[in-house]
Amino acid sequence: MSPPRPRPSGRLVRPYVVTEGRAHPSRGTLDLVTLLIAADGPPPSGLGPEKRRLTELCRPGALSVAEVAGHLSLPVSVTKVLVADLMDSGHIVALAPIPAALPSDARILKEVLDGLRARL
Amino acid sequence: MTEQIPEAVVWCLAVGLLAVTVLLARQRGISARQRKRNGELAGDLLSREEELRHLVTVRLPALEESAHRPAPGVGLLDTRLAETDFAKCLDGVLERFAEAVGRSQARADRSAKAALKSSMRSIQALASEQQVAISEMQDRHDHPDVLRDLLEIDHANAQFGRRAQAIAVLCGSWPGRQRAASALTDVVRGSTSRIRDYRRIRIHGEVDIAVESRAVEPVVLAVAELLDNAARHSQPSTQVEVGIRSVHNGACVVIDDAGVGMDGQALEKAALLLSGRHTVDVTRLDDPPQFGFAVVGVLAQRYGFGVSVDTHSPYGGVRAVVFLPGALLTHRDAADGTAEAAHAGGSPAAGPASRPPSEPPVGAAAPTTAGGLPRRRRRAAQGPAAARPAPTAAAEAGTRSAEETARRIGAFARGTLNGRAAEDTPRDTARRAAGEDARDTSHDDEGNNRG
Repeated sequence: MSPPRPRPSGRLVRPYVVTEGRAHPSRGTLDLVTLLIAADGPPPSGLGPEKRRLTELCRPGALSVAEVAGHLSLPVSVTKVLVADLMDSGHIVALAPIPAALPSDARILKEVLDGLRARL
Repeated sequence: MTEQIPEAVVWCLAVGLLAVTVLLARQRGISARQRKRNGELAGDLLSREEELRHLVTVRLPALEESAHRPAPGVGLLDTRLAETDFAKCLDGVLERFAEAVGRSQARADRSAKAALKSSMRSIQALASEQQVAISEMQDRHDHPDVLRDLLEIDHANAQFGRRAQAIAVLCGSWPGRQRAASALTDVVRGSTSRIRDYRRIRIHGEVDIAVESRAVEPVVLAVAELLDNAARHSQPSTQVEVGIRSVHNGACVVIDDAGVGMDGQALEKAALLLSGRHTVDVTRLDDPPQFGFAVVGVLAQRYGFGVSVDTHSPYGGVRAVVFLPGALLTHRDAADGTAEAAHAGGSPAAGPASRPPSEPPVGAAAPTTAGGLPRRRRRAAQGPAAARPAPTAAAEAGTRSAEETARRIGAFARGTLNGRAAEDTPRDTARRAAGEDARDTSHDDEGNNRG
């Protein structure tokens, strides 16, 4: 277990100011490992400092939500709110999350079994 | 001879009569003078009594009210007494009284300050501790409902901490938190974090200026008090506009509210408090106590920045201007650099994209998290991000090796099967091949899915 992150005096800008008091992201599809890429969308003017930094972070390549949260030193749940906003405004594109290997269909397994039995 | 006797008697009588008359006349003069003097003395006594009564009923209370400053206009009642010893004695009494009042006030103020300071410091410490706990909870819990509650608690805690901090500062304590040099925008947003109506604050202006480490907390606290004043003295539907400007020898934070403004007397009082020259008597703050300007004044005086509220806002309310001299400022890059260094990692914005991907991490500068875990390096961009097909991104680095491994193992298994096929019975071979095929299919499927 890693030692707790040193936090001598806490964040200066509190998370509720960053999200303007919102806690619910506008979309629920974001995951810790959702990959984010900056879109060639509207210019980042008019965005808050965190959002601007987020788009800058995602510009050179894909970053996961968890990594973005780490770089911004914000809680993941707060980062999700920001990311959802940026996706709404077209600054960020999320790649479809990689699904976990699907458990094989019982029907196929049964057919394979039948096939094997037929050959045996 | 006998005739001469009555004559002599007559003469004697006449002389005696004359003498008596003269004496009487003299006596009359004396008694008149005495009477007059008596009258004067009685008047004098009366006026002294009046003077004493005046001292007790008017002059001492006035002195008490004006807190050991000689009150103009409340002097002697009877000016004829001005030069007398009596008047000097009265002045002596007044002086002694003023001294005693001053001493006891100073003592009361000192002990009130000491008591408030120590209790506020302990409350402040608790608030900071709680803030750390809340921050950890925010990191730990991912559910939006939990986060919403935590944000509310965090907000209340920040306001609570600010109150305690403000009172402690007013009682002569230090703001008490060490921070790294921070961008001026973040400093203002930090102030916004500590007031009730943070949603009504709009911050304009982007400057590449950071505030020196030692001045961060005081500036945050002072701006927070001004923002709180602005938000509290304006309609809840209006916004408080904050402008951040770079000026010739420093930077300015301009706070405009659309409230009711201040009248002349309030402005005068505010200017006196904001100058920081007037020692604030914690026992004499209004009821409910008005700490705001007093705290700002103390901080401005102690750290050498300037605050004024004497201009009218174009929105109709008050315009508060905080002027930060160059001595309290630094350049933003320097501030960022120190912040990153303190964070025990390279700047994420620089580096990885320009470095070749295979470059090993260098010695102590290896990117690690504060927890000691290696930090993942960002993959370099390959052409325009949006044009990149999704499978390429997913097939890079991590996932590819696993698939290759799977493919190689599959090939190896097929190879060994083929090699042994000659020796094995056809039936066995067929069985094993079928098994392999099934497995290959599943690998391919997985590969496709991952793509």
